[in-house]
Amino acid sequence: MANSLILAAGAIIALSAGSAAAQSATDTKSFAVTGNVPALCSGGTIVGGGSTFDLGVLIDTTTGLLRTDLAAPPKVLSGSFCSSRSTISVAATPMTAQNFTAAPPAGFSRTVDYTATASGWTATAATFATGSGSNPGASQTRPSAFSGDITVSIATFGTNGGSGLRLVSDTSYLGVVTVTLAVAN
Amino acid sequence: MSRVAPLFALVAVAAALPATAQTRSATTNMPVVGSAPQICALQPPRLAPGAQVNFRGLSGETLQIDQMVDSTTLAANAARAAIQFEAVCSFPHRLRIESQNNGLWRTSELAAIPSGGFTYAVPYRAEVSWAGVNTALDADALSRRVAERGVTIDRPGAGTLELRIEIQQGASNVRANAPVIAGYYGDTLRIVLEPQ
Repeated sequence: MANSLILAAGAIIALSAGSAAAQSATDTKSFAVTGNVPALCSGGTIVGGGSTFDLGVLIDTTTGLLRTDLAAPPKVLSGSFCSSRSTISVAATPMTAQNFTAAPPAGFSRTVDYTATASGWTATAATFATGSGSNPGASQTRPSAFSGDITVSIATFGTNGGSGLRLVSDTSYLGVVTVTLAVAN
Repeated sequence: MSRVAPLFALVAVAAALPATAQTRSATTNMPVVGSAPQICALQPPRLAPGAQVNFRGLSGETLQIDQMVDSTTLAANAARAAIQFEAVCSFPHRLRIESQNNGLWRTSELAAIPSGGFTYAVPYRAEVSWAGVNTALDADALSRRVAERGVTIDRPGAGTLELRIEIQQGASNVRANAPVIAGYYGDTLRIVLEPQ
């Protein structure tokens, strides 16, 4: 905004000068053309089979314990860009049973923790562990404008309360990973 | 002066446009979904330590009595064993104990009931502790049939299911301490965790 005002003032002066010279054989008029490129970010579009990480059946059906081989293909945010210095942040909520909302009985849990990672934007990937009380690496700053893909992945699954707990039966366990690109101040 | 005014207006518009078009942040949400189906599972049995009296031990899923009768009176000997299973039911469920024969019956003879006051079937008691619930089945051996006992458990359960089998000294389907007729005796006891 400060740059626009200066250009405008210059234009006014030039225009006034043109008027003052109107009595000569040559008449010159100048005017300013101004523009502005705002700092903005776009999150791009998700490629690779929709936006949902579908883990399927979470438990080993012979033991009731959380599967140790849980995995989901990563998601790619394609065409993401920020036209200025930016910050990428990742946040996530644990997977919780949507129908079994009561406190789980002894030996059971209704929550699955995991770690979400957003890489490709900054040298150090942004990570967020749902079971951690503090996630200092969840936001990473890139000092320059950038356009590229962001790969979002989830891993390191664990039963909230301990690996010896079983998950209560529920047809829907749900969590959400949120990736935010923002102009850095 | 009148020519200057439109220029001011042009600049003002140019400055205002970026302010309305800016998107300083972009957020993408990605759900993470899964499910935990209803399961009940019983792991293979193991003999509870120190709980065995007059049993030879557990072989696979067979529990064999060591000395079934007293060698002098031929009355049934007391026997006791406790077996444990690691188990889980991830939803409210039902525990069922089922005796195929309602006691220990001779496996080789299904027809005639012997005379002479001999015991020809041996009763026993099966107790189960599971998910904070205790229940028992008395297989009284008074008739050869399927006998069962069920109890509903209105919550998921996980941990150790313990089965205790006890044969009383002199147990008989005829009269206490009646001599047991010779033969090979057996029963199949099923522990079932199932939907209600």
